[in-house]
Amino acid sequence: MAAPVAPSMVPKEEDATAQGPSNEIVSPADALYDKCAQRSQGTVFFQRDLSNMQVAETMAELTVLLQELCDRHLMKLMTLEGEPCWKLRSRSDADKLRRLTPDERLLYHHIDQVQAEGIWSKALRARTNVTQQVLTKCLKSLESKDLVQSVMSVKFPNRKMYLLKHLKPSEDIAGGPWQSDGDFDTALIDAISSAIAQHIENETCIKVPGNWNDYGQHDMAAEIAHKKAQVQGVQDIEDAPAVKPYQPPRDPSTSKLVHKNSPQYPTATSVATWLNSKEVLRGKTCREDDMEQLLEMMVLDGRLEKISGTNYRTVLSATDKTVYNGFVDAPCGNCPVFDLCSDEGEISARTCVYFGQWLETQSEEV
Amino acid sequence: MSYNQRETPILAELCTFLVEDVYGELAARVYSVLARHGRQTLAAIARASYLNGRQIKYGLVILLQQHVIFHSGNDALVTYYEIDWQSSYALVRLGKVAKLVDDRFGSKAADVISHLLTFGHTRIADFKEAYFPADVASDDDSNDDIVNGTGLKRKRANGTHVNETSAKTNGIVNGVPSELEDVKPDPSSLTNGAHAANGISKSAKTNGNAHEIYMDGAVDLGDGLEKEDTAFASVDELYDVLQLLIQRGWVRTVTESQYLSPGDMHDKMQQETIDQEFSGSAPTGTKDKEKMHRAILQKKRHMRDQWLEVPRFSRKRSAETASQNGPNKRIKVNGVQHQPTAGAALPEDDLVIRVNPEKIAVAMRTEQLVQLVEQRLGSVTAHIYQIMLRMLENNTPRCYENLSEPPVAGEAANDIHLEPQLLVDARAIAKKLPRDFDVCEGLDPNAVVSITRRGHVRSSNVLSQPVDPNRIGMDHRTELVDKHIRLLAEDPLHFATWHSRAGFSQWHIEFDEIAKQLIQAEVENTIFARKGALGVKLIRALRKKGKLDERATCNAMMMSANDIRGIVNDLTVQGFVQTQEIPKVERREAKHSLHLVWYDRQRAREKLLHDTYKGMVRILQRIAFEREKIQPLLSKAERSDVIGNEEKWLSKGELDALQKWKEVQEKLLLQLFREDDLVATLRDFHGPLISV
Ligand code: SF4
Repeated sequence: MAAPVAPSMVPKEEDATAQGPSNEIVSPADALYDKCAQRSQGTVFFQRDLSNMQVAETMAELTVLLQELCDRHLMKLMTLEGEPCWKLRSRSDADKLRRLTPDERLLYHHIDQVQAEGIWSKALRARTNVTQQVLTKCLKSLESKDLVQSVMSVKFPNRKMYLLKHLKPSEDIAGGPWQSDGDFDTALIDAISSAIAQHIENETCIKVPGNWNDYGQHDMAAEIAHKKAQVQGVQDIEDAPAVKPYQPPRDPSTSKLVHKNSPQYPTATSVATWLNSKEVLRGKTCREDDMEQLLEMMVLDGRLEKISGTNYRTVLSATDKTVYNGFVDAPCGNCPVFDLCSDEGEISARTCVYFGQWLETQSEEV
Repeated sequence: MSYNQRETPILAELCTFLVEDVYGELAARVYSVLARHGRQTLAAIARASYLNGRQIKYGLVILLQQHVIFHSGNDALVTYYEIDWQSSYALVRLGKVAKLVDDRFGSKAADVISHLLTFGHTRIADFKEAYFPADVASDDDSNDDIVNGTGLKRKRANGTHVNETSAKTNGIVNGVPSELEDVKPDPSSLTNGAHAANGISKSAKTNGNAHEIYMDGAVDLGDGLEKEDTAFASVDELYDVLQLLIQRGWVRTVTESQYLSPGDMHDKMQQETIDQEFSGSAPTGTKDKEKMHRAILQKKRHMRDQWLEVPRFSRKRSAETASQNGPNKRIKVNGVQHQPTAGAALPEDDLVIRVNPEKIAVAMRTEQLVQLVEQRLGSVTAHIYQIMLRMLENNTPRCYENLSEPPVAGEAANDIHLEPQLLVDARAIAKKLPRDFDVCEGLDPNAVVSITRRGHVRSSNVLSQPVDPNRIGMDHRTELVDKHIRLLAEDPLHFATWHSRAGFSQWHIEFDEIAKQLIQAEVENTIFARKGALGVKLIRALRKKGKLDERATCNAMMMSANDIRGIVNDLTVQGFVQTQEIPKVERREAKHSLHLVWYDRQRAREKLLHDTYKGMVRILQRIAFEREKIQPLLSKAERSDVIGNEEKWLSKGELDALQKWKEVQEKLLLQLFREDDLVATLRDFHGPLISV
């Protein structure tokens, strides 16, 4: 569907409520409305569609009916590819619209024009020439009537963008596939990034079983002797490596990850292509920029690492990490009263409960 | 940051503790005057302390011999004394140094280093005397201190020989200001005994022990020095070891100029420059000033390099140890090949030597990098890296150039010209690997097959034809080593950088960049331990993007503002993150201001360093407290009738308590040494960082 183009015509200012709908007889205008309402929501009607409904006798009458519906805000005039067309509003919306003050209606109209792109409040003021107070008051009231919504722009983080309530903000203001309602969709991000982490791991790492290089018979006796020597700390005089070569278990059921030998390192483009081919984003596509944002975030998370300008790979850790550094592993490194602790007095190393627990010794009572 | 003016600066407090632990109370009292008041004359120290002149002089002599203080020399009318913070702090590393030397040069060298550390600078002749006393034949059977089993000869260290020598040393040593020359310290006054000799009432034992504890403690924590015999078979062997240590830059000769504080040194150099190049009048123009600045830096570098020059030894070293390669090789126990000069006096005997502190930092850097690689890439790659680093160590006098000149404006940063001794190639490493070293481990099986060209990789990633590392030819071995180095190079930390194709592949290491990453890693470690992954994520985001407002922070972290406000707050309070409010309207209203958050790595580094010093002080205080609690029992256990008969004189409860004390002390010391590792990373591997 082509994007509706805003009408050049400003709604007439006569009060539409003057001629309220009569409930007894269904007026021709209402008949036309009801007919249109039978079509699926959001349908755009051209003049020929409406005349085909055969509610109006003549073209002139149809024009009058349409004018009436527009005045009552039940219909909205638009142009599509240069041709005028109409769209329905729900009766409740129309009802609300009818109750608007002229200022409010003016603002509503401008907000309506921009559709999903939204309009910045400053721009709105420039276009409508209302005072700041009026603007603020009217926008508040429009929001409270559930006619418009405001969204923080992602592109210009401190701009409040206004758009009609029932519209979904465009990507430009609401952000890419990772956001919904202007906020990051944490569940989605978690799920997708896990999938990507796995994908990148497959691309850049290789799982090697314990017995991958099963050379030689196991000389049990020699191994035991070696172990013994290690335990006793007797080392070969010629060679005493401080980091002892770790003898990996040859057990085929264990395995470990190592970096692949010259792999094709994934980039934001390649991962985006991969993700889109999986079609997990429910209709949305992931652009390269979106993917880059996600991958960079995963680097911050420590799940990926960047090995050149655009390439990513999995972070491997050969050992489980439970120690951090000398300072923070000691009681003081993580102490809530660190800044209050002094050489003597109520909070000091002598009276310290944390040292007491850590060492399992008694501290001085205060 | 709660910086309270009334508090002693934390480093001063820490160093005073260390000095007291190692050299006793007298030295510590003199030291603390200097720590509190800064540069002082003898008379001023006397005014600021309750010690008499003689006591102060004793203290100063001890401190000078250990190089924990500077003095301004004999030229001027008055001599000023000033603390050398670096070497004072280095006292905590005593044990570590012995371990580092042991790993590289074997236990005999470690023994020599321990002695040097214990006694400060020493004349070579006195060393000889200590190990080979002229009168007594080798009486000291090293096997009799099985008790601690470390091979560090406690008996010797505290025994008569060395004390004799140190007394002598003091007499001879150059560089002690003349005003102190009348002090002939009691032989026992060094290290342990100072206060006892001067009648200051504090248990001599306690302090004496502390020193050994720093030494032994560290050694026990490592793999332990081998219990191989540390006795030298001949004087020649001792000379070999000394010569090797000097050549490799671990030990340097002491000269008068090393007593000068950085400030005095600067003044001296400046005066020299003015005299020589500006005919006696200080330059005034900007150009000339810059010229002078460069000349001074150059002089300082020259001076520093002179300290490291290897003196000419009059005797030839035995071929074994003279060969340049083989830092890992133990010095052969082999004193048979007597060279003509064995016991006789040699010209170099008058040289005074000391440990070179800068080299210690280089070695600590090696150890930490190896640990990091082990954690990231596995132990086999780490071992190869260790060999690389240790080969380079021999030609690396210090971690970073602290006297570099500012680049000349207009002149492009000259191409990085790498000295060949800063390069290392795959083949050289392959040659150093033990035969049975499993060089294939840690590599992608496909990489192995692509080199050996035998068999293939099954779908389960198992080699169809296993490769026995014992049967790999040197060429393949080199290629496999190269694969490991490539892993190092490809890592985001860039542990190695390719240089040329010499020796299959030749590499250098960009220590500067890596050191920055190490600092960052420790800041992140600290934050992770305290605040978990979220804190680290924030720091990384800020580090990458610079100053951010809330919205941009959210975008980088892909989280909502509510989820990050708390962590921003916490890290600000802890001093790792800075915030700034920029008003946008004239009236400064929070609502209308821009709130920026950023991460300043130099500030974070300093904050963490400061806190770590404080953590170390607390540990030392806790050790003192724990010792105090058990002091009566310790005194009892150390009575001469009890030693050796503990079972008889001490109750079960007492024995348990002693055992517990030992464990507690060990745990605390281990933590202290680990905090020192952190200090090294934060302080010693890289100069100040230019922020953001
Ligand atoms: S001594 Fe105890 S109270 Fe003081 S900082 Fe350390 S852990 Fe905290």
